[in-house]
Amino acid sequence: MTVILDNISKSFGQVRVLHNLSLEVEDGEFLVLLGASGSGKSTALRMIAGLEAVSEGRIEISGRDVTEDLPKNRDVAMVFQSYALYPHKTVAENIGYPLKIRRISRAERDTQVRDVASQVQIDGLLERYPRELSGGQRQRVALARAMVRRPAVFLMDEPLSNLDAKLRGHMRAELKHMQHELGITTIYVTHDQVEAMTLAHRVALLEGGKLQQLAEPKTIYENPESLFVAQFIGSPPMNVAHGRLENGTFIIGNDRIETGGNATVSNAVIGLRAEDCRVVGSGEGQIQASLFANELIGDHTLVTARVGADSLAIKAPKDFDGGYDSDIGIDFDREKLYLFDNDTGERIRRH
Amino acid sequence: MSRTLMQRLFEPRSIHEIAPGTGVIVYSALFLWTAFVLFPIYWVFITSFKTPVDVNSGPVYLPFIDFWPSLHAWQDLFVFDYKDTLRAYMNSLIIALFSTAGSVLIGSMAAYALARFEYRPKFGVIVMFILVMGVAFYTVGSFGVDWRLASASGIAVFVFLVMSLSRHFKLQLSNGDILFWVISQRILAPIVVVVPIYLMFQQVNLLDTHIAIILTYTVINLPIVVWLMYDFFRSIPFDLEESAQLDGASRLWIFWDIVLPLSRSGLAATTLLVMILAWNEYLLALFLSTSQAQTMPILVAAMNAGERGILWWTMSAVIIVMIIPVIVLAVVLQRFIAKGLLLGAVKG
Repeated sequence: MTVILDNISKSFGQVRVLHNLSLEVEDGEFLVLLGASGSGKSTALRMIAGLEAVSEGRIEISGRDVTEDLPKNRDVAMVFQSYALYPHKTVAENIGYPLKIRRISRAERDTQVRDVASQVQIDGLLERYPRELSGGQRQRVALARAMVRRPAVFLMDEPLSNLDAKLRGHMRAELKHMQHELGITTIYVTHDQVEAMTLAHRVALLEGGKLQQLAEPKTIYENPESLFVAQFIGSPPMNVAHGRLENGTFIIGNDRIETGGNATVSNAVIGLRAEDCRVVGSGEGQIQASLFANELIGDHTLVTARVGADSLAIKAPKDFDGGYDSDIGIDFDREKLYLFDNDTGERIRRH
Repeated sequence: MSRTLMQRLFEPRSIHEIAPGTGVIVYSALFLWTAFVLFPIYWVFITSFKTPVDVNSGPVYLPFIDFWPSLHAWQDLFVFDYKDTLRAYMNSLIIALFSTAGSVLIGSMAAYALARFEYRPKFGVIVMFILVMGVAFYTVGSFGVDWRLASASGIAVFVFLVMSLSRHFKLQLSNGDILFWVISQRILAPIVVVVPIYLMFQQVNLLDTHIAIILTYTVINLPIVVWLMYDFFRSIPFDLEESAQLDGASRLWIFWDIVLPLSRSGLAATTLLVMILAWNEYLLALFLSTSQAQTMPILVAAMNAGERGILWWTMSAVIIVMIIPVIVLAVVLQRFIAKGLLLGAVKG
């Protein structure tokens, strides 16, 4: 089912936490709202759920205007960050709760509860209480409770953030598989860009209550529209170095880098992904730097280099070895170089 | 490195242990305190089995050794004076039960509202209401205006003032202020309101009735219930209620099916406390009851004013009878006051 946010805004008193957000979620799409805390992503989700009133604009679910509807009449199910399992009810009662409220007969309820429980592999736990479950199991119960209703839309508010790193990776894959299998439109809120990149069909990146970019993960990674997006997406985030742009030549310290354009910007920034940089000998390459630290990650070594006041992270081969504070050169392909205006944060295109 | 004797005695090997020397001191202190606390109960208990001679001829401590127990005090209580005792007992039971039920019911609803909704009354509006009502009372009292007319026009004037003036008032109160106002009602010593309360019930001919005492107790215990339950409701994660709301439950059903079961331990503790307060209350009962509605504390106190002097033995028997329900209640409710009920509601 589709979800349409038409110019929605939210203010708490004088404070405006969401500014004119518009987006359309397609049927069966997995859309991730990504942002740091305070970016308005959770507020947007709660507005779709009906837990937060809409200050301006309208929300449409499955072609129906639900802006003024109560949460229970919107046909949405939500998975909370805290899971919000009812502690005095068993797992079976928790999963069956939405059905019980809808007065579905006990027999019918039992079948459906058993059905979803086996889908998320918790059929053995139905008689337990939430306090007797591990974090991962609780997460599955919360998921099952959302699934059992077959809602038009799934809403998920950082559902994986309370799990440890290993389990989070595992659940991420399961979640993606399940969403693909059920084909239910899903809106997922997270602050973790890795989660966003791996799960989403499209990512909506929010900052300060404003939509920064809405695109597929690959696009948002390879073609960020602003300095903010570039630095938010990627692990490690995109390297930036400050300098000035004169007639298409970027000047940083004593180095001059030909960018191929002809723009002039006094306060400019170049952006480079860690994997697009190569460490070369001193005097070679396009930027001269000093080696600050190297960390062996496993399949590669992460080299941190200093250029003036900026730090650049470079992915080097795993057998890379360099002394601290030694001089190195950094080389890269010109088409991998991004240019931004540091004052506006906007991308400078080379045309 | 070997440890000196003092270190062995007073420095524990790990942070989870008590050193032997410290242990001896701590447990001796605890033992002394326990004896100090329990002795009066023991003393009352054995005194209820003493004859007047045993009591008056100096202290005796051990039944069957120091003195021979007798049931004569209990006989006084349950055979000769049984009507008085039974009536006071029933009065105390009825008053404690109904006033507790009243204050827990009303107080927990108020506490839930304060814990879940944000109220922002304007200070100016409250002052205006008090002023208007003051004027209305004054006209009724001094000029003999019909009270219905006075209150109706008072409300009309108030509504008019609110509509025309309230947007000019800036100072807003919050839930915290309301909560403090509620608890301040209990900080006030009851003695200062005992005369007005007496006069009020005298006016409506309710002195020496259950209803007067029940109403008074309900009101004086409300602040305690609101205060305790407010904290308790606050500790129930809001997520649970929002989740139930999305699952399709109505507000009332959420309160009944999610909030109440989760506050069982808080409700039990509050009920126990309020019940004990109502059961033991003396001052207000003294003013509001003369004979028919007398409660147990009044009966006990009356015993040191008898014409035969203080009947220590009968008084002790009454006190024993009086503390039994409280002990029973504490035992019954104590299993609800167990902690950890909310475990597993949120997070891992």
